[in-house]
Amino acid sequence: MLNYNQSLPEVKSYQDLQMKEVKPIMKLIIRGKKREFISAVGKSLNMLLPIEANTSTQSEKLTALWLSPDEWMIFSNDTLDESNNYYETQEILNNSISKVNLGAVIDVTDQFVMINLKGNRIYDLFQTGSPFNFNIFRNKKGSVAQTIISKIDVTIHNQDQNVANLFVRRSFSQHLFSWMNDAASRL
Amino acid sequence: MFLIYCPFCGEREQSEFKAGGEAHIVRPKQPTELSDDEWAEYLFMRKNIKGVQFERWNHIHGCRKWFNMVRDTSNDEIKAVYKMGEKPPTK
Repeated sequence: MLNYNQSLPEVKSYQDLQMKEVKPIMKLIIRGKKREFISAVGKSLNMLLPIEANTSTQSEKLTALWLSPDEWMIFSNDTLDESNNYYETQEILNNSISKVNLGAVIDVTDQFVMINLKGNRIYDLFQTGSPFNFNIFRNKKGSVAQTIISKIDVTIHNQDQNVANLFVRRSFSQHLFSWMNDAASRL
Repeated sequence: MFLIYCPFCGEREQSEFKAGGEAHIVRPKQPTELSDDEWAEYLFMRKNIKGVQFERWNHIHGCRKWFNMVRDTSNDEIKAVYKMGEKPPTK
């Protein structure tokens, strides 16, 4: 049984901005180049992988983020059972992708921490420490960007108007969260 | 600081990228038949010209893909960007 330690201390709220860790969320990285790989993922999960750069697709249970031309991240829309580390989606993908040598499926649930940010000052916060131009990104629902915030690698997903998910490596998460809180308090 | 067009992600800031040295260096087909000098020439010696240079770059804080770039080293003007395996643009 996994020990789901809370990586980040608490929910932090500021004027027009709220951020918190969401857990446990299943996160998988899938990699493959072949055309059959994309159709096999589509069939087994009943969702299309985003082919266009910097975009995402969503089904009832899952969201797929474009990371690179041959790499995607799939995460669950809802939190899962804390009592075990069995993911049905991973099982399905292992059978349809890994075991037939179409591509790779990697469980990164514990590698990444997902921070959910809400409010209309999210991008003002990101802009304080990122070289990325958020002008188009902020108005395009489903956009994905891999960039750096305060020199830390992050993946940002525009979930909805004024709602964004941020994925950061676990070992950097406390520092980034603390940095973002400091930055948010000065906005 | 300048903007670089990643052939996969689009225009991004230079701090997201890492330079990977000179491009289009061909590995000798028979390394064992080379003299030490010739091998060292292939392994270590790189052009460092002031002017237009063909380079490899990696979008290391983004899609993590390698690509080629034609850059004027004197003023950082990027003449062309193209994917690995594609033919370099002619002068």
